[in-house]
Amino acid sequence: MLKFDRGRPIVINFNGKPVKAFETETVAAALYASGVIKFGYSAERHRPRGPFCMIGKCSQCLMRVNGYPHVRTCITPVEDGMVVEYEEGHDAELPLPTKEMLVKREDLEYDAAIIGAGPAGLSAALEASGMGARVLVMDQSPVPGGQLVKQTHKFFGTKETFAGMRGFEIAKMLTDKLRDRENVDVMPSTQVIGYFRREGSLAAFRTDGLGKYTLLRIRAKSIIVATGAMERSLVFPGNDLPGVMGAGAAQTLMNVFGIRPADEPLIIGAGNVGVIVAYQAVQAGIKVKAVIDIAKKSAAYLVHSSKIRRMGIPILMRHTIREAYGKGRVEGATIYKVDDNFHPIKGSEVDIEVDGVWLAVGLTPSIEVLELMEAGIKFVPELGGYVPLRHRNLETTVPGVFVAGDASCIEEASTAMMEGRVAGIAAAMKAGLGGDEHVKRMKEAIKWLDEFRSSPHYRRIREGLFKVTLEGGAS
Amino acid sequence: MMPGLEEQRTLESGYVTLDDLRRHGNIPPDEVLESRAVPIFDCIEEIPCTPCRDACPTGAVIMPTMNDKPRVNWEACTGCTLCAQACPGLAITIVNIPFGKKVLKDPAKALVSVPYEILPIPKKGERVALYDRGHRYLGEGEVFSVIRSHKYGTVLINVIVPKEIALEVKFVEVIRDE
Repeated sequence: MLKFDRGRPIVINFNGKPVKAFETETVAAALYASGVIKFGYSAERHRPRGPFCMIGKCSQCLMRVNGYPHVRTCITPVEDGMVVEYEEGHDAELPLPTKEMLVKREDLEYDAAIIGAGPAGLSAALEASGMGARVLVMDQSPVPGGQLVKQTHKFFGTKETFAGMRGFEIAKMLTDKLRDRENVDVMPSTQVIGYFRREGSLAAFRTDGLGKYTLLRIRAKSIIVATGAMERSLVFPGNDLPGVMGAGAAQTLMNVFGIRPADEPLIIGAGNVGVIVAYQAVQAGIKVKAVIDIAKKSAAYLVHSSKIRRMGIPILMRHTIREAYGKGRVEGATIYKVDDNFHPIKGSEVDIEVDGVWLAVGLTPSIEVLELMEAGIKFVPELGGYVPLRHRNLETTVPGVFVAGDASCIEEASTAMMEGRVAGIAAAMKAGLGGDEHVKRMKEAIKWLDEFRSSPHYRRIREGLFKVTLEGGAS
Repeated sequence: MMPGLEEQRTLESGYVTLDDLRRHGNIPPDEVLESRAVPIFDCIEEIPCTPCRDACPTGAVIMPTMNDKPRVNWEACTGCTLCAQACPGLAITIVNIPFGKKVLKDPAKALVSVPYEILPIPKKGERVALYDRGHRYLGEGEVFSVIRSHKYGTVLINVIVPKEIALEVKFVEVIRDE
């Protein structure tokens, strides 16, 4: 159902051989499209490795590019004539670049600095800039939109969060709106690397091209951390084989780049992510062998799981993976059934031929920046792991630092957008802007979140939030 | 199903039955079914989702809060298909039983509108295989027409099916000659 505008065809050089690519691709996507799924080797045992997350968060796709080591190929745009190579033996010491790197410096000042240009960050930017704040939105990816860009299904929720629109359309609409505003700077390919506590400023670097970086010092009256989350792996023999990847990574390859990451994959995890990715795989012409899940009941919305059941994709509950195997890449997997206590049922093992294993077993909030800031953090499994303590207006224990979206709690893109609205308003108010109508708008957004989470589906989220929500702030 | 694996026909694995829908009041009484086109909502969970309600021009989809399950006021519903086009879960089919008698002059047939998002989109006149909620093969049908909605983006395939399976049909696949 998608149209892909791949742009101009170009040629890159991979391990001495020419590889065709398109200018809109990342290095990792171009390699995957040409059949390369081995991106390197493990340091000690020399096991082949392939990319896992495709969004710049794991380290499985690092390669040497144009002589620069440890380049995250999944978020590096291809350039004509680029030289890409495996890195060998980087276990003992960090490899040095063969060319000198250019580093410029810049000092920037804003009312609100937002880290992450996904649904939460973009919504926060819209709100804060609408109140007159000078806003910077940074993202480590070369394209803003976060994970919205690969969501091709229509969103649930209500009109307030653009229900019925597809995720990538929402990303485009939000970024288009921000582009029209003079008081907003959207800065892609930019990563925050430090926080100066005394002056409350951020250190970040922007990649202006390979080997060309700008070191930024950003002073802001308030900061919003909207850094999203990272897909989890699962422990089983063979989980490092190329072809084993996050379901979201498969989604990126299919829906952003129009690449089939596998022809007959197995998906582990029958929550919303697992079944939505299964559906999108069918749309991409992929035959999903099965979606399996160790739980008794699928955690997905019934409407999502029914959608793939009627298309003939089995959802096997109480099943999990024993191992994935294959020579240099996934060629098969053994799955088995478990009893009520999650113990394997003897004799239930089945070998299935698959060429991909996609893991949809949950996400972990990306809270590294908040840790740097020494924000109060608590381990709350219901919310996805370590998450920051926050007031109702999403201010963390560090005054002037707010959190929104999956970094605050693994939930939905809809709630990320509404949390972004809350944090955006609160951050602008912290910078001395806004009035009564904005207090009202924030309260409405908080009320919407409460109502959304009153669904029986979000009981665990409610219980988790109860553990990390502090007194005070807007209520 | 792959050898060695047993199919799970359970609600826990995403398989909804007509009985489940009846229990939730999602299947209209026979006299309504026989008299007009009606939406069949495969939506029995309390989830925060409102596009069907928002799309309905006559207020026939009743949903006081965003988490309420949709209930249809059969008297107010005109069978216009907008809810089926809007539903992000592709959960709604429109079953039009009188269509057989009135339009096709064949009372053994009915028209079912099936939401569809896979390329290639079936074309008018094509034969399609009909499947139920668990991908069980039900028989063959014929594409009567295709509704392409610019506003909602989900295509509806209007399929002529045997009347007795109209409530079962939930997915179609074009039959291609080998």
